[in-house]
Order: sequence, then structure tokens, then C-alpha cells
Amino acid sequence: MRILLVEDDPLIGDGLQVGLGQLGFTVDWLAGGRAALTAPASAPYDAAVLDLGLPSVDGLDVLGVWRRAGHALPVLILTARDAVDDRVRGLDAGADDYLVKPFALAEVAARLRALIRRRHGEARPCYHHGELEFDPPARVATLAGAPLELTARELALLELLLSHKGRVLPRRLIEEKLYGWDRDVESNAVEVHVHHLRKKLGASFIRTVRGVGYTLGEPA
Amino acid sequence: MSPSSLRARLLRPVFVLVPLTWVLALTATYQQTRHEIAEIFDTEQALFARQLLAVGASLDGDAAAPPPLDALLANGDGGDYENDALGFVVRDRDGRVLLADGEGHAFPPAAGRVGFADERVGDARWRLFFLASLDGRHAVAVGQPQSFRDEVLWEVLASQSLPWLLALPLLLAGIAFAVRRGLAPLAGLADELGRRRPDDSGPLTSAVPDEARPLTDALESLFVRVADTLARERRFTADAAHELRTPLAALRVQAEVAGLADDAETRARALGQLMVGIDRATRLTEQLLALSRLDPLEGLPRDAPLDWGAIVRDARDAVEPQRVECGARIDVEPGAAGPVAHGDAVLMTLLLRNLLDNALRYGCGGRDGGRVTLSVAPDAVTVRDDGPGVAGEHMQRLGERFFRPPGQRAGGSGLGLSIAQRVARLHGLKLVLANRPDGGFEARLARCDTLPHSRATAEALH
Repeated sequence: MRILLVEDDPLIGDGLQVGLGQLGFTVDWLAGGRAALTAPASAPYDAAVLDLGLPSVDGLDVLGVWRRAGHALPVLILTARDAVDDRVRGLDAGADDYLVKPFALAEVAARLRALIRRRHGEARPCYHHGELEFDPPARVATLAGAPLELTARELALLELLLSHKGRVLPRRLIEEKLYGWDRDVESNAVEVHVHHLRKKLGASFIRTVRGVGYTLGEPA
Repeated sequence: MSPSSLRARLLRPVFVLVPLTWVLALTATYQQTRHEIAEIFDTEQALFARQLLAVGASLDGDAAAPPPLDALLANGDGGDYENDALGFVVRDRDGRVLLADGEGHAFPPAAGRVGFADERVGDARWRLFFLASLDGRHAVAVGQPQSFRDEVLWEVLASQSLPWLLALPLLLAGIAFAVRRGLAPLAGLADELGRRRPDDSGPLTSAVPDEARPLTDALESLFVRVADTLARERRFTADAAHELRTPLAALRVQAEVAGLADDAETRARALGQLMVGIDRATRLTEQLLALSRLDPLEGLPRDAPLDWGAIVRDARDAVEPQRVECGARIDVEPGAAGPVAHGDAVLMTLLLRNLLDNALRYGCGGRDGGRVTLSVAPDAVTVRDDGPGVAGEHMQRLGERFFRPPGQRAGGSGLGLSIAQRVARLHGLKLVLANRPDGGFEARLARCDTLPHSRATAEALH
């Protein structure tokens, strides 16, 4: 899950980037400014976290620009103001959800997962595919009830495939979803993760669509 | 009624003055009436004596006095006449009584006397009039008891003052009622003021007399000022509470990151960030406290000669950790005297510290790798940095509480310039903030009267 974070406070920005990373998200952090206006177009983000800041309403301006440009990604607003007015203004400006500071990291993650899930038309919090079950908040995958030992990157790839059931994901897209801006990506990184997942889940779990990318295979 | 009540102030003189005036008027009436009565009766007595002289010329020897008037009147209309009101005696040259009536026998002998005299006859005081014929054969005395005259006088006075005596309480009650009615609008005003909410800045609705207009106008302008102050206080408290949420959110998220970290490096880094967050929250709290202490001050808490060298040194020491972290340089152009010679050294140090803090925060990493210049001169103290300066549209809002130019990563409290401006004002100084023509930002602390008016000032209203 790749998240765009627009937060001008250095400590909160850093904390969310590292913390959400620990919870299985890939986070790109912008401190605001002009770059934030076009950021949603720069990568296939699953959701955005936007700080409204105080006292400037820069955050709402940014959101307005995004929505006018047709970016439909779910947006979670962080605000220091809890008056109904402020929340209503945020939601009316096109936000999907809001959290009032100070917030719990786990709640930010949970709300982001819920927003993304709803965007994919999925109501259940857990993914099922044959005998495989994946619990995103707990970052735990089980096969026929037995826990699987997967790395964070493998879990992210698994979540990506499960949330796009029936669709072919291009290799380039998978790469962008798994890695933020600031990491160097090995050219064959995605192939390596696919290879490892197949070893643990069975060769038919991921199907290669030659020249396009990967998709979820038939349930084992 | 309290002694300072307007009603008491109006009624007390009225209740004293009205009866007093009445007593004075009555005294004057008494004098006047007495004089008039004396005049009427004296004239009557004199004319009667003269008529008696004319009658006396025809008298020889004992003439019988006529019977009493009651007997003569029989059933005739006697009007309101009083018996014994007048007595007389006619005597011949030898003092023999030729004719007398009433107490006339007892009148002293005339013996050549002429004119009025007040004398005792028997037990009573009489007003006597003596007259003698030119040939000296007859002498006449006409007398009237003084008590009769007094009686007439008191009757006249009583008939005049009795209606007044009855009307006086009515008059006073009427005045009291009128005063109460006249002051009723003030009572209504007091009632409205008592029920008014402290943050109500609207006009008074009670009908007030023209005389009270200046008072209510002054009150209404006071209401607006009080409501403004209250609104500002509330906004500040609300802003302060919200401002505290951001550092708290930072602390919480970093603490959670530390808790989630499964490697020592990530944990150590998060704990480091946590310390930065705590320092920042501490600084914000300190700034809030400083501002809340400065706000109510009307004047300087201490006013002593200022040692500018020591102030600059203390302010520099206070920002030293920050300077080291950002790798900037602070150049001091020292001067023996600043724009003010007297003031509060602690507050002045706080002011300079805030200016240096801002310069380091926003000017850090400027063209020369962060160079801050502090110069002290008799006309002004200036702090310059070589940072990017402040965008024009944000210049006006500098110094507004909690305002930070958006999109910058430096985590200031947004209170530093508010504090600096407050301290400057307490010293009779003005803080002028401007971008330098050659790049960077300049804060200039100068006396209010030596500033050219054309310079852009960013003075906060509160």
C-alpha cells in the first residue's frame, strides 16, 4: 500500500513515515508547498494523509486542487481543530475521513486500510483466497490455518495481489506500490519476491501474464 | 436611600428648602400684616378721636354713655363685631369726665398729651391716642387693647397659612413622586446593565434621558472594547489548546514508532525524535507562559540602566545549542548603547533571544551557510539573516499569534515575534520586520519616534 503523506510538521511527518512503514505501508512524505499539488499524479498512491495545519488552511487548498484535477484517491485529513465546522469543511472539500491530533498511529493505519478497502469495494477486513487467509492489520497470513513466515515486502506483495483479485498488475506498478521514492530498487526485485511467495504458497498461486505482469492464480 | 443616591441628593435639599422658604415667607407676611393692621386701627382711632372732639364741644357736665351695643342692636344684624374693641373718654379742662365708654374711665389723664402711646391700663396693654381741642377745653383719649390687635393679626396669619400648612405635605409628596418618575429611566438602565452578558457588545436598549446619553455612549464603547478583549482571550486560549495538540501528536507518534521498532537503530532514532519533540513542546509552553505573563503588564516590571553588552551575551548563549546544530555563524557588531538606556534586562534578553532564534530557524542554510548578524547601535538594534526571507503575502501576518508561514519545516511556536513585539512596546520601541533588498530578512528594533513612516511595519494588533 503506497501512501502519500503531506505534513509540514517535521516530527509528525517523520513519525508517520517510519511508523506506517512498520505497519506495512510504503510512505512518501512531502512537507507541503507546490510539490504537493501535483504529487498524486507522480505515483500510483492507494491513499493520502493530509495535514490541515494551523493556522493556514493550506491543506484544504491542496485537497481542492487534487479533487479538481480529478484525483480520486482516498484522503485522510489530520487536523488540530476538532470543532464541527472544521471537520465539515474538510469533508466537504473532498476528504474521506479525518483524525484529530493527537492520534494513535494504529488508528491512522486502520483508517487508511478501511479507506482503501472501501475503495476496492471490499467490506471484509481479511482477505481469503482458497485456503489462504490474510489479516492486513495484524500482518499475518495463514495457509490452511498454519501461519506463514513472510517478510514485510512479501506481505505487501501478497496484500497487493489479494486486493486486486482478477486484475493483471504490471510489474512496474507493483514496483511503484512496494517502494517509495527514496529507495533504490533492484531491477529484478519484484521477480525475487514473486519467486519467494511461490515457494511458500505453491507455484500456481501467482500467475505470470507474459509481457504484462502478474495476477492471482487459481486457489490451491 | 444611600447618601450617594441621586434621588437622595435631589430630595434632601427640596425637603429642607421648601419648608424653610415657607417659614421665611410666613415671617415676612407676619411683619407686613402687623404693619397693615396697626395702620388701619391707628387711622381709625385718630379719626374717631377727632370726631369725639367735635361731639365733646357740645357736652357740658355729665352726659350719659349710651347703653351697650348688644342692647341697642336688639335683633339687628351686628355683623362680626367684637365688644370691648374700643374705649374712649372725653374730659374737660379740669379733668372731669364728660363722656366715657368701655374702659375709658380707667384711661390716664390726658394732661396736655397728644398722639399715640402704648401704656398699661389695669392688667392689659393698650394702644392709646390723645387729642385736645385747640381752645384747651376738651381732651379726648381713644384706646384699644393690644390683645385685640394681636388677635386680629393672628387670625389673619392663620387664615393665610393654614391652607399652606395643609398643602405642604402634598407638595413634598408630589415632588418625591416626580423625582422618582424622573429617575425611572436610570433604574431601568441599571436593571439592564445587571442582566447584561459580559461578551454582549450591542447597544443598550433602555430609553435613557438626554442627560444620561454621554454616560451610555461611553458605556457602549466600553462594551465593545470589553467584548473584543474577551473574544481575543477566548481565541487565544482556543488557539493555544490547539497548538499544543501538534507537539503532543508528534510525541505520541514517535513514542509509538519506538514501541513498534524491531531493531535498535530505528528505536534509538525514534527516541531521539521524541527528545526533540519534548524540547519543542517545552519551548512552546515556555513561550505561552512568557506571553501570558507579558500580556497583563501595563509597564515594565523592572526599570534599570541596561547593559547591552550583557544582554547580547546572554541572548547569544541562549541560542548557542541551536546555532551549533544548524552550523550557522552569529556575527555581533557591538555598540555601547542601544536605542533605550533603561528597561528590563530580562525581557530585553528574551526579545533578542527570540529574534536570534527566528534568524537561526529560518535563515539557517542561507547563501553563506547560515550567517546571522546582530548589531547594536544607539538608533536601532538589528538582527539580519541570509535566509530566503518571508513571502510578501505573509509579511502582514508576521507577529500574529501562532502564525507561521506555511510550508516551512522549522518547528517554531509562532509566538516568538508576538513576545518580541510586546517587549518592544513595553520599552517604547517598535519592531520593524522586512525582507532585505539584497536577500535575507531583517528585524529592526528602534524607537517609535525615529522610524521613517514609509517602512513596512508588521505590528500585530494584539
